[in-house]
Amino acid sequence: MPSFIIRRLLLIIPTVFIAVSFLFFLFYALPGDPATLIAGGADRNPNPIQIQQITEQYGLDDPIMVQFFNYWKDVLSGDLGQSFQRNQSVNSILADKAPNSIRLAMWAFLIELMVGLSVGIYSAIRRYSWADKLTTVGTAAVSAIPVFVLGFILQYAFAVYPNKQGWPEWMRLRTSGIAAPRTEEEWFLFFIPVGPEQWRYLVLPAITLASVSTALAARMMRGSMLETLGADYMRTAKAKGLSERKIVVGHGLRNAMLPVVTLLGLDLGATIGAAVLTETVFSWPGLGSTIADAVTNRDLPVVLGLTLAVVVVYSLINLIVDVSYAWFDPRVRLGEGGQ
Amino acid sequence: MNRAKQGRKFLALAATSAMLLVACGSDDSGDSGSGGDEVTTEDTTEDMTEETTGETEETTAPEGTEGGEEVAGGAGGEFIDFGTFVGDPPEHLDPALNSTLDAYQVINALYDGLTEIDFSDPADPKVVPLLADTVEPNEDGSVWTFTIKEGAQFSDGSEINASTFQKSWERAADLAGDYSYLLTFIEGGAERLDGTADTLSGVVADDATRTLTVTLSAPYSNFDAVAGFQLFFPVPDAAIDAGSEWENSVMFGNGPYDLESARTDQEIVLVRNENWQGDFNGETWPDRLDAIVFRTQSDPDTGFNAFEAGEGDNANIPPGRIQDAQDNWGTTLDVSILGSYHFVINGRDDRIGGDANLKLRQAISAAIDREEINAAVYNGSRTTSTGIVPSGIPGFEADLCEYCTYDAAQAQTLFDEWVAEGGVQDGPLPLQFNADAGHEPVIAIIIDNLAAIGIQAEAQPFPSETYFSELADGACVICRAGWFADYPTYDNFMYDLFHSDALDGNNFGFVNEEFDALVDEGKSTTDKAAQGELFRQSEDILLNQQTMAIPINWYRGDYAYDQERVGNFTQTPQGLILWEQVTLSE
Repeated sequence: MPSFIIRRLLLIIPTVFIAVSFLFFLFYALPGDPATLIAGGADRNPNPIQIQQITEQYGLDDPIMVQFFNYWKDVLSGDLGQSFQRNQSVNSILADKAPNSIRLAMWAFLIELMVGLSVGIYSAIRRYSWADKLTTVGTAAVSAIPVFVLGFILQYAFAVYPNKQGWPEWMRLRTSGIAAPRTEEEWFLFFIPVGPEQWRYLVLPAITLASVSTALAARMMRGSMLETLGADYMRTAKAKGLSERKIVVGHGLRNAMLPVVTLLGLDLGATIGAAVLTETVFSWPGLGSTIADAVTNRDLPVVLGLTLAVVVVYSLINLIVDVSYAWFDPRVRLGEGGQ
Repeated sequence: MNRAKQGRKFLALAATSAMLLVACGSDDSGDSGSGGDEVTTEDTTEDMTEETTGETEETTAPEGTEGGEEVAGGAGGEFIDFGTFVGDPPEHLDPALNSTLDAYQVINALYDGLTEIDFSDPADPKVVPLLADTVEPNEDGSVWTFTIKEGAQFSDGSEINASTFQKSWERAADLAGDYSYLLTFIEGGAERLDGTADTLSGVVADDATRTLTVTLSAPYSNFDAVAGFQLFFPVPDAAIDAGSEWENSVMFGNGPYDLESARTDQEIVLVRNENWQGDFNGETWPDRLDAIVFRTQSDPDTGFNAFEAGEGDNANIPPGRIQDAQDNWGTTLDVSILGSYHFVINGRDDRIGGDANLKLRQAISAAIDREEINAAVYNGSRTTSTGIVPSGIPGFEADLCEYCTYDAAQAQTLFDEWVAEGGVQDGPLPLQFNADAGHEPVIAIIIDNLAAIGIQAEAQPFPSETYFSELADGACVICRAGWFADYPTYDNFMYDLFHSDALDGNNFGFVNEEFDALVDEGKSTTDKAAQGELFRQSEDILLNQQTMAIPINWYRGDYAYDQERVGNFTQTPQGLILWEQVTLSE
């Protein structure tokens, strides 16, 4: 197992290198000259003197391979570069946005885990009951609704409508931002919001972000659970006289969890780096919307730097998911020969 | 097997206890947003629930009112703005670097310049002295003399004198922002910008007499309006030392507000500058807002939702929700903004340019039903153009354009004449615009209008982020353009958009010596009436004799605000909000 882990950790390096380099070269294939864009070409015709200055300042007229080499040289010394668009280093942008994305993703993950799993298990145990039918239809509906539509609906239902009807303050949730105006957000243990006001900013984006994956997790859990429940060893356990709870949770769940864990793990990686729609709908200052904006603005250092971070995190999560297989299913022993 | 069960149990326990800890642990729910200066302490009792919605009983006044303000109604308060920064946070907050209107909202509250525009009568804007006591041009408008008011100072008490302006303008030259080309209006400015000179030779500052003398590179009678533009704002010594890092620090200036803290991507917070010397009437608006919090919204619709949810005091009106805004909220839709939405024609393109195609261009312009566009696309919230330059610009005359009123018969006649004279349509004419910015329906209506008289046209969208640079490279045939006046002068439209010297050789291929001559003469004429006449003649060439531009509509204000809580909220024709005049009430 340890050798497996080490090998996987080392594999992260070429993964990051290939992914980021691919983006680097892709950037130059895109239309639009970054210097012109930075010089304000989006709104008014840019000043040619300015374009020249920017080109020199950011080394945009160096040959591509020179820029490539310089970029990686800087990254290896910890400097992800300077944003073209803003007067800010990519490291500080990353430091600002990454925690927000991670927190939102963690909460979405928790919702997916708790709600998705429980719903899935319950529908598996009570197959064909009305509750099962309800969840089948419900999960299909939720996963079919586009994320931003769901976001708008939730915003309207929990914030706009209550305001228009004059509901009391405590019944309302917030739609925009991560904390109240002029208030520094406070977190306990990194991702638990401190104070009820801050919770209100977290709830709707977390639910929206979790929605589709919760539905998928529930369906997958149900299917996987049904398969497990039909296995021979389950009948043995029942014959042995174990309580239903012990059978389901103790025996069945651990085996059924594998595909769901894979799904949730991959999803966690995606929600950290690519939750663009949710972040936009709720003005949540995270990595996804920052990367999307940077692409539009041809802000290469930000795109590359933030993507690099996301790729690293994603690879680590994948590794954890893979390692967890061994915990769930002892038949899987990673890194050793076949059992 | 036990481990799985234990694992889940632990998770549930951890989550619940965390929530209990948090709910019980915080006594102070802090600012609930727009509470203003809280004089009463907040007493909160928490309901402990299993859910993650953190219900809390708050005994403070509900959102949308002030908590415990001692001053009699309408004074102070904290204003939460959702309408200014929509999409991206501002790139620049430095007056020497900024080029966008949204950041200008903040900068205008932070700084006061030599002059200001008085829009009390929107049809007749006047340039009035602000930091300057007197503004004196010489006979031909080539030398301008400003005397700086006694007692002018920044919020930290440091003095503002003539040399302050000189240093600030040198700084602007060093930083070389988008608008630094305005320094070329000053003698020695071009040399200073391209590095051949060390200082702006045309600027002489005498602190003893508090006199700033500016010699221009060419006579320009509207320089007083330009001198009040953000590029020419005075900045404190700290800004000169900090250079381009100034906008990332806690900026302060001489305007009604200062920054409370360094800007972040999510928020920019302004607080009162108690040291402010007042507006151009000397009025210091003592009841003005205590704080203004600009929150960046990702998207106009989500910003409007947040506004409707009571989280903010104003919002930008998204297209499609204009009716909703008009019905339920106060809006600035009645304010005419000095901006033009129009199409420009590339004179170098054989299909459409040149004398041979003049009638085709006139036909196109006359065939467009501008009222329909206004009604269908903008819900009547724009003003249909009768020229490029809008009402409110000195020298404006209504109905200057002869081909801007919808007249299908006239258009048909012109088109038929063009065909009879040998005009041949070689494929559909491309109508170019930046995609996903709301122009698609306008283009669709125009294509329909043109098809009705026999002109084939097609939509040619460009990606928004590269649109203007593609046009700069010569891609325009009939391309959409928009322009907001930087300062309310006729030449800001005529010169900056259509003169052959502007925008490096004029991307739209309109090169007309007579037009250039009229604009040049207008710029240097000091008699306002004569100036107006010259500019009108130039616009007549542009729109009627050559028809190289097709005006569509003029912009109007686009803010919605909570009229029950917010008072005196309006935009000037430049689009700016006069923050010192806005009030909040219960």
